[in-house]
Amino acid sequence: MLTCKEQVARSSDYLDGQLTFRERLLVRHHLMFCANCRRFIRQMRLMQATLKILPEPPIADVDALAERLAAERSRDP
Amino acid sequence: MAAADDAHLLERLLKGEQRAYKELVTTYQSAMRAVAYAIVGQRHADEVVQDAWLSVVRNLAKFEGRSSLKTWLLTITANSAKGRYKQNRREVLLDDLPSPHGTIGDDRFVPDDGHWAVAPFAWHQDTPEALLTEDELRNCLEHTLASLSELQSSVLLLRERQGLELEEICNLLTLSLSNVRVLLHRARLKVFATVEHFEETGEC
Repeated sequence: MLTCKEQVARSSDYLDGQLTFRERLLVRHHLMFCANCRRFIRQMRLMQATLKILPEPPIADVDALAERLAAERSRDP
Repeated sequence: MAAADDAHLLERLLKGEQRAYKELVTTYQSAMRAVAYAIVGQRHADEVVQDAWLSVVRNLAKFEGRSSLKTWLLTITANSAKGRYKQNRREVLLDDLPSPHGTIGDDRFVPDDGHWAVAPFAWHQDTPEALLTEDELRNCLEHTLASLSELQSSVLLLRERQGLELEEICNLLTLSLSNVRVLLHRARLKVFATVEHFEETGEC
């Protein structure tokens, strides 16, 4: 059985589908019996979802850039 | 963006429609910047993105839709970054810079048996939207992202925000899969520690 520490060390690979079949079973088995690690994984997923929607800084001068690129395009058809 | 959308956008771009260029820049520039940032660092990332845009426009007619438009744009950006600065950034890899709220490190576990010594704190919110209603947490996250090494933050953003596959990140940044996995894991644990700290103390 994995320890909590070992489970955490494998957590990213687990979330990214990078574990071998056997290792994936080991993690699942650990999670079945460990509420703390289940919480950890659940909150890792929540953290991922949060980064996904975290607003990005606006792009400076997007209109000027678009204008320049469109002009560049028509110069070189 | 689906292939049909790509094709439609491409058609408008080829006609030189300015609104299409605006759409292109708004949709893809931040992913391009993350790629540039990972390869050449903050100082030169903007120049590389500018170069990449010009190269994109000049080569638009050659885009054949064999990859998605996004993959094509990011490949051009990576090539433009690599061509401009040939320095080897690999040594940066092992730099694990300190982060404002630390990480989930060895001290969280009992040395003898590897159980949690300090169990993960239960967060008050269970959706990303609810978490982000706190402006202070947003700032806190920005602060932590800024504390990561250039490679760590780029890999994290390319994966979580841009949804790239690990394989794609390896190819763009010329990194091994195991390096990408390590970078990603370390970055995630630091961001996790930041959210946990905020949920526990209400402070950044």
